[in-house]
Amino acid sequence: MRSHKVIEIRNLTSSTYVIRMEKNDFTFTTGQYITLGFTGSIDRREYSIYSSENDDFLEVLIKEVESGLVSKKLKRCKSGDYLDVDGPFGHFSLEESEIDKKKFLFIATGTGISPIHSFAKTHPEMNYQILHGVRIEEEAYEKQTYPNGKYILCTSREKTGDYHGRVTDYLLKNPIPSDTVCYLCGNCHMIYEAYDILEKQGITLGPIHTEVYF
Amino acid sequence: MKKVAFKTLGCRLNQYETDALASQFQDKGYKLVQFDEAADVYVINSCTVTHQSDHKSRNFINQANRRNKDSVLVVTGCMANNAKEELENREEINYVVENDQKTSVFSLVDAHFKGEIVHPSKLNTDLFSYGATDKGFHTRSMIKIQDGCDNFCTFCIIPSVRGRAASRPIQDILKNIRDVISQGAKEIVITGVNIGRYDFEGYKFDDLIEQILDLDGDFRLRISSIEPDGFGAKFLGLLNHPKMTPHLHLCLQSGSESVLLQMRRMYTVKRFKEIVQVIRAKNPDFNITSDIIIGFPDESEEDFSATCDVIKELNFGHVHTFKYSVRKGTRAERMPNQIDERIKTNRSEILRDLSEETKLNYRKSFIGYYQSVLVEKIDGEIAGGYGEHYIPVQFTGKEIQKNHFYQVKITGIENGSDPILIGELV
Ligand SMILES: Cc1cc2nc3c(=O)[nH]c(=O)nc-3n(C[C@H](O)[C@H](O)[C@H](O)COP(=O)(O)OP(=O)(O)OC[C@H]3O[C@@H](n4cnc5c(N)ncnc54)[C@H](O)[C@@H]3O)c2cc1C
Ligand code: SF4
Repeated sequence: MRSHKVIEIRNLTSSTYVIRMEKNDFTFTTGQYITLGFTGSIDRREYSIYSSENDDFLEVLIKEVESGLVSKKLKRCKSGDYLDVDGPFGHFSLEESEIDKKKFLFIATGTGISPIHSFAKTHPEMNYQILHGVRIEEEAYEKQTYPNGKYILCTSREKTGDYHGRVTDYLLKNPIPSDTVCYLCGNCHMIYEAYDILEKQGITLGPIHTEVYF
Repeated sequence: MKKVAFKTLGCRLNQYETDALASQFQDKGYKLVQFDEAADVYVINSCTVTHQSDHKSRNFINQANRRNKDSVLVVTGCMANNAKEELENREEINYVVENDQKTSVFSLVDAHFKGEIVHPSKLNTDLFSYGATDKGFHTRSMIKIQDGCDNFCTFCIIPSVRGRAASRPIQDILKNIRDVISQGAKEIVITGVNIGRYDFEGYKFDDLIEQILDLDGDFRLRISSIEPDGFGAKFLGLLNHPKMTPHLHLCLQSGSESVLLQMRRMYTVKRFKEIVQVIRAKNPDFNITSDIIIGFPDESEEDFSATCDVIKELNFGHVHTFKYSVRKGTRAERMPNQIDERIKTNRSEILRDLSEETKLNYRKSFIGYYQSVLVEKIDGEIAGGYGEHYIPVQFTGKEIQKNHFYQVKITGIENGSDPILIGELV
């Protein structure tokens, strides 16, 4: 386990924030996650890495969960604090051999956009499309960082997104070509339903292409 | 001569590690005795996977202490990591040794009898320096190839108590296997926490298995317990090698896709079935055994019946069922909709009956066919051991020797929850 110094906190909404930490000699493969907690505390949680492999800092995107323990505590951290980082962990990674050959569809709900942000920032040349499901538009976290046309926002509680409805509704209405490589990240119910829809559309997902948060 | 007794709880890896420790003690002149006999040293290799295993470990600690209050009592294994403080506060326990220092149990005890006080934290932390397990308790020679796991399935405490995945150098493994084969081992069992994720300097699990199968000698290879993720087509191809035994313990955990997602398992039921189909396409009687967790948070009747359906469909040779129990610090501990204990018990009974039925059907299918039995025990003219499919077989014969292979024709089957095949020597 290593201690990383917090550089800054960036509040994206009243509940969602990005913690930027010093990277030190930490290395990871884009898509992986770390476990994070205050130095010395036994309470730790998993967070996907938001920053790119090439950034000289380490970032995580966190939403404060109502009645949550760690996401609440971490929100109060300040620059200069130290956080314990363990990892990297996980197999939610791109296949090296596919990156410059295949067309990708990344489907995320809420903060599940985090590893997708890291994919896009690490491999900007990749041929990809992002489908991001949120409740309201303000949860389209830093959508300006994605090039034009790459990011489709689905808002379920407002009509402000590119599509009004859930990502699964979008997928049903807009079938995906079967040669697309799909990655799904976020809440379990979305992943379960989307998986089913995509399979029916003829897409075979590799066993490692889902990352369940809760 | 000093006497040492061991008690092992939990997985095969613990089993292997106890064997290896027992060998070390015997090499240094200790006499190995049963756990219910008086001994100078008791070693409890504990497990903490379920509440039940914690309870059992505590029971054995009490028993050892009752048997000989002056004995040296060492508690190691996963409970030593998970409940270190509690165990260290118990006066009757002399040493609490965490998993990564388990290889040093002998030197600790040796130092104790020489009057030196060594704190376990000063011990060697090499996960693999056990040496061969030739004097242990089994005919099968277990070989540890890796330790730890980074999968963090949401119910599992193992990544916290066994630590990060670490793979043993491939040359060490091959040398270890050559050594045990030259000492007469006939069956090599690969063991570890998550062996499919073996990765040493670019050598993956299937590369390692290929090299082991290429070794000379009259031995057979058993893979033991493996997760359905982490290996690919190359490994499945190796399953048809003549030295490979047709048996895999492939952990399914649930037959419901949505439960598997919540467990953060890295495969789907569909993928699991595909693996089984690929294996059985080449070898229809291949023995696939599995683990199932019953009553994971939010498991609905529908989820449970999906699990029952998979068990019926896949004709498992054996299903080990566990009632889900909360482990502190795991993600599943914090999940809503924990399942009532009575429902878990009820589902467990249903599944146990189902599993016994499929096991009996599977085993019956061997009647009339042959098994190559590695004899483990002999009682007069009755010999017992396991066939290549890892099913217990009993037969009679004169001058049968332990640790030898015998061709046996299966003629019948016993009753009971672990029905033994009965055979005749050919
Ligand atoms: C591999 C992995 C990567 C993750 N990456 C991220 C990430 O990049 N950003 C991020 O914000 N979170 C991420 N999470 C979720 C994160 O680990 C925590 O679960 C989350 O921050 C809540 O922790 P807590 O201590 O505040 O709440 P807890 O005290 O653990 O939980 C309180 C309650 O909230 C529920 N809950 C847990 N997580 C959520 C959630 N996200 N939304 C709604 N309810 C929830 C729990 O089931 C529980 O009932 C990830 C989880 C995993 C497994
Ligand atoms: S694969 Fe999952 S169940 Fe197996 S040891 Fe690792 S975390 Fe535990």
